[in-house]
Amino acid sequence: MRTRERPSEIRRLAAPLARGLDAAWQRMHWWVAAMIVLYAVSGTTIVKQDEVAVVLRWGKLAGATPALQEHGPGLLFSFPRPIDRVVRVPVKHVSELIVGTLSAALPDEDADPYSGSLDPVNQGYAVTGDQNIVHADIVARYRVRDAAEWAFYGPVANDVLRVEVTAALVRSLGEMGVDRVLAEGRKDLIAIATKRAQEGLDACRSGLELSSLELTRLAPPVALAPDFDAVQSAFIGAETRRKDAQAYAATIIPQAQAETEAATQGVRGAAERDLAIARGDAATFLALNREYRANPMVVGERLYRDAVERALGRAGSIRWVPPPAGGRYNGFRITVPGFGQAVGTPAAEDEDAPPR
Amino acid sequence: MDDSLNTQRWLRAGVGSLALAAIVFYATAVVVREGEAVLVTRFGRPLRVATEPGLHWKLPWPIDQGSLLDMRRRVYETGHTEMLTRDKKNIIARTFVVWQIGDPLAYVQAMGVGGGAEGKLDGLLTNAAIGTLGGHDLSALVSTNANDLQVDRIESELLASAAPLALHNYGVRIEQIRLERIALPEENVRAVFDQMRAERRQFAAKFEAEGEKEASAIRSEAELEAARIRAKGAEEQARIRGKSAAEVAKTYADAHRVNPELYRFTRSLEALDKLVTGNTSLILRTDSEPFSLLQGRTKQ
Repeated sequence: MRTRERPSEIRRLAAPLARGLDAAWQRMHWWVAAMIVLYAVSGTTIVKQDEVAVVLRWGKLAGATPALQEHGPGLLFSFPRPIDRVVRVPVKHVSELIVGTLSAALPDEDADPYSGSLDPVNQGYAVTGDQNIVHADIVARYRVRDAAEWAFYGPVANDVLRVEVTAALVRSLGEMGVDRVLAEGRKDLIAIATKRAQEGLDACRSGLELSSLELTRLAPPVALAPDFDAVQSAFIGAETRRKDAQAYAATIIPQAQAETEAATQGVRGAAERDLAIARGDAATFLALNREYRANPMVVGERLYRDAVERALGRAGSIRWVPPPAGGRYNGFRITVPGFGQAVGTPAAEDEDAPPR
Repeated sequence: MDDSLNTQRWLRAGVGSLALAAIVFYATAVVVREGEAVLVTRFGRPLRVATEPGLHWKLPWPIDQGSLLDMRRRVYETGHTEMLTRDKKNIIARTFVVWQIGDPLAYVQAMGVGGGAEGKLDGLLTNAAIGTLGGHDLSALVSTNANDLQVDRIESELLASAAPLALHNYGVRIEQIRLERIALPEENVRAVFDQMRAERRQFAAKFEAEGEKEASAIRSEAELEAARIRAKGAEEQARIRGKSAAEVAKTYADAHRVNPELYRFTRSLEALDKLVTGNTSLILRTDSEPFSLLQGRTKQ
């Protein structure tokens, strides 16, 4: 027969705690069960559309390869803490960082922007390859490319982006002339600086990808703005002169063509007219010749008399002189008005005679 | 009744065991996460560094104690430092480093668990920069001639100069050193401004002269072209006139060849027609026609 043992001192002391636990269990066992279930599912996470999630199991990345480590959008089941810890990384979200390390920020409001110098500590600028000075305002757009690298090992995104972008731009500007970077070389500058900045980000395993680099302002110092404007004005003036000359050329050549064409057409017309007249004259002559062949005396006489009549009728004045005695004139003088003295005999002078 | 008692006993035992296990676990487990390391010390003496992520163990406090170390890479920018290049030109340079804890034990011993590496790195990097840039001309940093530029080489020299010391002295591994800024002392900027102004004036004059030259060339070329067009036109006109004159001459010749005598006669009459005008004074003998007709009629 089993004899009832005397309760030990520990049991006696723990009896109130045991009674409390028993009473609590009796009253709240459903609540406790519910809490246990909630704890069990507390590792469940919703991964958003622009995110990937990585799971740390006892602090170590779960999964042997990056593909197995990264979990895409959706519901992710994991163990509750402290076993698993889920880290969500917004890999598709493009973030923006304004890099002002090379911008022309003035040290204070009272500073004179046209002063002849720049404080290298408080006023950002870069030195170009031909040792000129330019200010640059930059906007960098980036996103996370390697979620685990960025989340656990990479430097702080804004810090590393600021220095890498600044260094890349300083170096790229340092190998180009100021006129090139301010004009046609701007595109090349951005391309080279973007490439260099990305190489820097990769070299320090930042896990970041530079989507774009924008130069919102690239300009010489304010103090030199009038000098750069003068060059611009000279350039525009030269262009204006060139365009004026081109306009002159565009006028003078067609004008010469038009005048020449008109003159040539005139000559061509005159030639046609002369030929037509010649043909008409020839036809007239041939017709006259036919008549002349038929009756040479009459036709000849008529032509002669018609011509003489016309000449006599048209002449301004006619002087009739007697035939010379003995076949020749001796000392014969005639005075014609407007022509001074003319040859003829004094007896023949008849200045007052009315013209016929 | 006995079942109820047994259940309660098992419950008590379970809760007690779980509580005990939890206490033991938290006292002895060290969870090292990715990007972190834990330095375990025994009575304050460094015992080991757990760098591998995962679950590690230690004796409970106060025997062993774990200190968390951030193993992420970090960026540090030095101050702006004025220095002299090999060709005796003053420049102001600023570098940055990307670093991380390379030797946790050395790092903790040099810096303490709280860190503060940046202040010590600054001096190291500034010395390296002064030493390295002093061995190169300014054109190695900024130049439009690609052959002069040696930025990669300078950055490699900086890394080779600073990285071993940083690791040995401070347990810091420098992964990257780059020149972040190259600027000029404030006094030199004035001279650069003067130089830039002179260059601008030169460019303005050049643009004006080139514009004038090109405009003049365009005008001259256009005038030459116009003269060529006119000359060509004159040639064409002369050709047309010549051809026309030949055709006219041929037409007349063909017609007049039929009766040269009549031609000469008619041409003489035409000439008379053309010669005698209102300003012409004719001197005729009284025995010529038509006056002779009057004389003849009088005689009759």
